[in-house]
Order: sequence, then structure tokens, then C-alpha cells
Amino acid sequence: MELLRPESAEAAAAALGNGSVALAGGTELVPLLRDGIVRAEKLVELREVVPRGIDGTRIGAGTTLAELEVDQEIPHALREACSLAASPQLRSMGTLGGNLLQATRCWYWRLKFPCYLHGGDRCHARAGQHREHAIFGNERCASAHPSDPAAALLALGARLHTTARELPLAELYRLPTDDDREVTALEPGELILEVEVPRPEASVYLKAMDRRKWSFALVGVAAARLSDGVRVALAGVAPIPWELPSADALEHATPLPGTAYKVDIARALIRRALEAVGAPATT
Amino acid sequence: MLHNALETHQSVCRWEGDTLEVYTSTQYIWGIRDEVAETLGLPPDKVRVVCHFMGGGFGAKNSPGDYTFIAIALAGQTGAAVRCALTRREENLASGNRNSTIQRLVAGARSDGTLTALSGEYINAIGWDGFSGPTYGPMEMLYDCENVRTQTFGAKLNTPPNAAFRAPGFVEGTFGLECVLDELAAKLDLDPLELRRRNYADHDLVEGRPFSSKNLLDCYRLAEPHWARRKEVRARSDDVWKRGVGLASQVWYGGGGPPSYAWIRVGSDGRATVVTAMQDIGTGTRTAMAQIAAEELGVPLNQVRVELGDSARGPFASISAGSSTTPSMGPAVRAAAADAKRQLIEIAAQRYHLEERVLEIKDGQVISADGGSWPLEEVTGLLEDAQILGKGARGPNPTGMRVLTFGIQVAEVAVDVETGEVRVERIAAIHDVGRIINPLGAKSQVEGGIIQGLGHTLSEERLLDPQSGGTLTQTLDAYKLPTIADVPEIICEFVDKPDEHLTNLGSKGLGEPPIIPTAAAIANAIRDATGADIHSLPITREEMLRALRAAEERRREPERVGAPPA
Repeated sequence: MELLRPESAEAAAAALGNGSVALAGGTELVPLLRDGIVRAEKLVELREVVPRGIDGTRIGAGTTLAELEVDQEIPHALREACSLAASPQLRSMGTLGGNLLQATRCWYWRLKFPCYLHGGDRCHARAGQHREHAIFGNERCASAHPSDPAAALLALGARLHTTARELPLAELYRLPTDDDREVTALEPGELILEVEVPRPEASVYLKAMDRRKWSFALVGVAAARLSDGVRVALAGVAPIPWELPSADALEHATPLPGTAYKVDIARALIRRALEAVGAPATT
Repeated sequence: MLHNALETHQSVCRWEGDTLEVYTSTQYIWGIRDEVAETLGLPPDKVRVVCHFMGGGFGAKNSPGDYTFIAIALAGQTGAAVRCALTRREENLASGNRNSTIQRLVAGARSDGTLTALSGEYINAIGWDGFSGPTYGPMEMLYDCENVRTQTFGAKLNTPPNAAFRAPGFVEGTFGLECVLDELAAKLDLDPLELRRRNYADHDLVEGRPFSSKNLLDCYRLAEPHWARRKEVRARSDDVWKRGVGLASQVWYGGGGPPSYAWIRVGSDGRATVVTAMQDIGTGTRTAMAQIAAEELGVPLNQVRVELGDSARGPFASISAGSSTTPSMGPAVRAAAADAKRQLIEIAAQRYHLEERVLEIKDGQVISADGGSWPLEEVTGLLEDAQILGKGARGPNPTGMRVLTFGIQVAEVAVDVETGEVRVERIAAIHDVGRIINPLGAKSQVEGGIIQGLGHTLSEERLLDPQSGGTLTQTLDAYKLPTIADVPEIICEFVDKPDEHLTNLGSKGLGEPPIIPTAAAIANAIRDATGADIHSLPITREEMLRALRAAEERRREPERVGAPPA
């Protein structure tokens, strides 16, 4: 395997594709390479070319979660989401851009079952073991999106600046379809450069895990109160980070037999999150 | 739950002339030697097994395993040293698990709490090639009950087989028994600790023999201050977090036994070397053996070295399983040290023209009854190139007596009744294992047992795909061991009374007792906090919320029955 060290973000983007894969912190890519889920002939090192650091409301995509969790300028929800993610070692390596693009922890997908997300014709989790899986958007694929920061940024109404365009974070994600099993809408050769995060009046991130630390979210709830209202987004409940139009929307969840408990957890955490940001409780 | 020792199963094998050398992570170098020799048709002394240090065994490393034979075969073909090591994924697929069980339990008692009948039907899931463990043990051994009936079935399943796992059978059986005892206490409106006192067994009921020693009542007494905290703990509950205290008692083996041998070499520099072909499974037995030898010899600890872990360099020693290393090896080491000391005193008597009976060795000094004192080196210096060789053998266990270990743990928990989160905040453990050799090492054992118990109580679960039978939890993000953040405050106390009937040491094993009562103590604390009965492990959020719902429905039931018509 060859390691490319491009001189600029544009050169890095141009080098992607045809067996070349972007490498930032490596906490996600390296295990995927080792397990043969991602195949690469060349790795394109992003460390020197993707912005890193915090400038007002703009966060470089190369900023590590460890840097975000200690920065007082960062909205509370995002700081909490970072500090509750992974372990200190992983947070010191993992970047915000990479975190937003991480793949599901679905054991069927990770173990390379020929599942829907891998291009197959059915979701193995639906009829199998799915206690960590989705309660929304799970008709074709019941995987759960693992990113805590993504839920926080979704609630905060973040926007992305890529090498090609500017877009709301919500548009980065898409549910997999029969024609396209990807869960992100990033074009080949497109790199996330910066994340623009509006300053909320108040924000919070709450996370339910199987243990106290170093565990992906069973349910993560982010709430942010901005001038135009309160937004709630969830991690670990759908194949993509999931924005909830209202707390009542939980009634439209479609849990599997083994994920019904997540609805109860989500209900409690949403209520607590709304209280925490000073929003009137709706249920 | 799955075995997940930090060091995965592995061996390095090579041929040295006609001798096969096996460097392996094992709990039993002599067992590996015999099994490898027998499988290959070699004389046992043509197989040398070495294990100086290892990263955990917990019952899964008693046999050589395919990886050893693969390394042997490739070493033979290549003429080189070959290492065969399981990856973490392979460890989670092929190194065994604690078997799951289905338990149907019945307890009958008089209104004063006297147990009249206990019945247990146990179904152990043993996979395609496992063994059915003694899940019935605690019910038959822990309490004084005239009528005990147990039935145990091993159920073969098309899944990977179970392996011995730290107190096999007793961990599972104690969870069921001790939860039932607490439910009984609630029905009879009796204090759970008092219920256990009232059913104290003063002799072994299985074989009708006296115990060599049993200080469980002392454990109960030492548990009282921890148990008395429950009012104050409950009072710290609020609308969301409910707090409570629970306890569970424990019985296990741990007497060890013969044969086991040790040698001690004392040179002209006065330093002693313990030589025995045992292994240190990682519990610090190397240190404990040095302490035993130093105390018996009368020399400072830093004057004693322990050479172990090599079947070609030392006499036969016991397996490190069944909480038996210290009670099996310690007496042999002590006997060897006593033998060496006797010889040293013999020389000292000649050197100082005194009778042997007035001489003693203490703190590296030869001292006489009349107050004389000489450095031990003065005596050993006379040896020049000669050496004192002490030999020791493990004697038998006391005839007609039952040697068992006992204990109790008191757990404090907080339960978030809206999200099902369970936090264990404090566990007090009081164990009776005879004489404690190394208090710090013993405390580590207890802490390790409790933390491992916390894992199977709250978060560790092997998940199998129902269609293919494949193991889905192959990595440590999916198979959730406790992290340090999950560990509660742990208070560790020992009765620390030598068992006067057991060997020249009076020590029993401590490897397994601390993991046995943890799950039941936590489940009983959850009932105390919330009224919810936990009947299934691990207590995931899903299980906790289910149990809370069931308790809520039970509470409503009598209201519905008794409610006046609308």
C-alpha cells in the first residue's frame, strides 16, 4: 500500500478514487482496511491539507474530538458529544470530518454478511440480533448510525464546506436505497474541509450506553435552542443521524422487537434534553 | 459470556534435538506436558513446557489447544520456532464461554424463615462439545436445609462449546439461589441477612462431615455495618435515581491438595531460591511463595527469589485452577523452607557450640535463647560452594473433613428508572479463605473478581446470529467488558483466621470466591431500590426496563382487584 502526501486539499481530493482512500485519524479506516471491508491501493494523507482548529464558528474538519471537547467556544452539545464518544486515545486521533463519515457498528455489516447495506437483498439484523439497531428509517436496513457529534451538529444546524460546495449537514446523509446503498451524499473526490456551527442560546447532548464509557450510543439525544426555535436530533436510532421534528414524532418510531426499549430511553432523554435547554416540554 | 483474557491463547514451539519445547500461556504446565507427550507419543520428559508469565487464564487455559499442536507441527516442518496465537476475534470465537443456564427454583420455608425445602432444575447450555458444570452446588452446600433436590441437564446446542470459567456452575447457581432467598425474605418480611443466619449450616450437608473451618458467621458480622447503610442509601433516592442495597452469600471449594513439591536452595551469600515448576497465572503467587519462604526461613523478603514456570527446572506442582494454587503450593514451599532452616540451624549449632533447640533464625539473624545474635551470612559463609537444599511436599487434606471457602458481598446500586441505567456505586466484600498471605495481592484478587462479575452482571453478552449460529460479538466494541469508569468503590475485608486443620499453612484459595456472589448482590440491591425482580443476566437497559414494567404491573394488580366499582 502506498501513502500519498498531497500538497493541498484540492490535490488530495483529486487523488481520491481508483483505489485511493482518504486517511485522517485512521481510527475508523484502519480497522476497516484490516477487516477487508475497505480496499485501498493508496492512502491519501489528509493531516497536512485539511484545516484543523477552531476559528469563530468554523471548525476545521481535521480538528480532533479531543480538541473540541475542551474548547470553551464550542457549543455545549458538541463538546459533550465529543467527550462521551469513544475513549481518550481514540478521541486524540479521530477527527471531526472522519467522525461524521464513520460507518455503522452493525455486527452483520462489520462481519461482512451479504446484507442490504453491502448490496445484498435483505437486512440480516431485522430477523437476527438487533438490540443495538434502529427505531427509525429501518425498513430496508436496520443499522444504527454511531456518531455522537453528528447528532449534536444536526441539532445545532451545522453546515459543511467541502472542496466542491457548501451544504447543510442534514444533506450529507441519506437512507440507503435499492439503487444506492451509500448513507452519505459526498461525491467521489469530495472532501469535507470545515464545519460551520451556529452559536445556540443553549444546547445539550445526552447519551445512553451499555456501560459508562467507550461505548457507542444506544440512544444519543442532542437538543439546541437557537433564535428560530428548538431542534432535536438523535444518534444510534436510524441508519443516519436522525432529526426529530418534534418530541411527538417518537410516536411514529418503527422499532423492531429488540429495539422497542430504545423508544422508552429516547422519550426520557428527549424530555431531559428539552428541559436542559429551557424548551417547553411538549409531551 | 466469553473468555477475553488480555493475552490470547498462544504457544511458541520448537525442537531442541529430540526435546520439544513449548512456551505457552497456561494454567498447568504439567498438564500441557502430559497431554502433548501423549498426543505425540513422546516420553513426557522429552517435552519441556515453559510459562514464566501470563496474561490471564480464568479457566480457559488448562489444555494445550489446537494452536499448540499447529505450532508443533509447523516447528517440525520448518525446523524453526513457530508461534501460533489467536487474534482477538478468534479468541471470541474459539476459546470458550461461561455457559448460559435456565434455572427453575423453588424455596419452601416456615414463617420464621427456616428453610424446609429447596429445589433446583438446571439446564446448562454446553454447545457442541462442552461440559455441564455444578450449577447445583450452591443450593446443596450453602444452607442448612433438610430437603434439597437438584437436577442438572447439559443441553447440547449447535454453538461453540463452553469452557471452565472462574467458579463454573457456582457463579450461575449462586445468582439463582441468592435471588430466590431474597424474594423469600421479602415474602416473609424478614431481613435478608437474618434469613441467611437462620439457615446457617454448621456442617457439610452433602457428605455429612464437619468443616475444617468455617467463619461465615464472622463474615456476616463484618457485613453488618455495610448492610446497615441501606436506610441512608435508600434515602438518597429521587424521582429518577432509585437507590438500594443488596447482599449475597457464597460457598466454593479452594482447599487445594497434594501432590505438589518445592525445593529451596540457600547459598553461601545467605540468599534463598525457591524452585518449583508451578506457574503464576497472574495472581501474584510468585510473590506469595517468596513471602511464605522468607517468613519460614527467617530472612528478609528481598533475600528470596522464586524460580517457577519451567517443567524442566523444578519438581511437579499443581494446576492453577479451582482456587488451589496457594493452598496446594504454599504448604510445599513452607515445608521446604522449614527443611532448609533445620539444616541451617544444625550448622549454626556447630559453629556457635550451642544446642539446636535454643537457636532460631529471624530477620536474617541467627539468635539464641540466651540473647546471642549473629548474621546468617556468618553461617552460610561456611558453605563456600556447598548449598543447603530444602525439600518440601504438600501433605494431605484433613481426613473426614470438608474444606470450603465462604463469603458475602453487599452491593449498593442506583437505577435510573426512566432509562434503565444501572450504576453500581459500592461493593463491600468479606471473604473467609483461612490465612491471608499477601493482603495487597488478596485485595487485588477480590477487586478483579468483582469487576469481572460486574461484567457478566451488566454488560457482557455473547450474541449469536439465530440463523447461522455465528458469533456476532467478536470484537471488544461489541462485546462489552467493564471499563474502569464502571468500577464501584470496593471495600475488601477478610476474616483472616488460619484453618487449623488444613496443612501447615491454613490458607485456602481466593481466585474464585469473589466473583461468585457479585451478580446476586447487585440484583438484590436493584430489587431493594426499585421493587423489580431481576431474573436474567446481563441486566441490560432492555432487561432493566422490562423488570421495572413487570414490577409496576404487579403493583397495580392488587389495586385493580381491590378497587371499588366505578
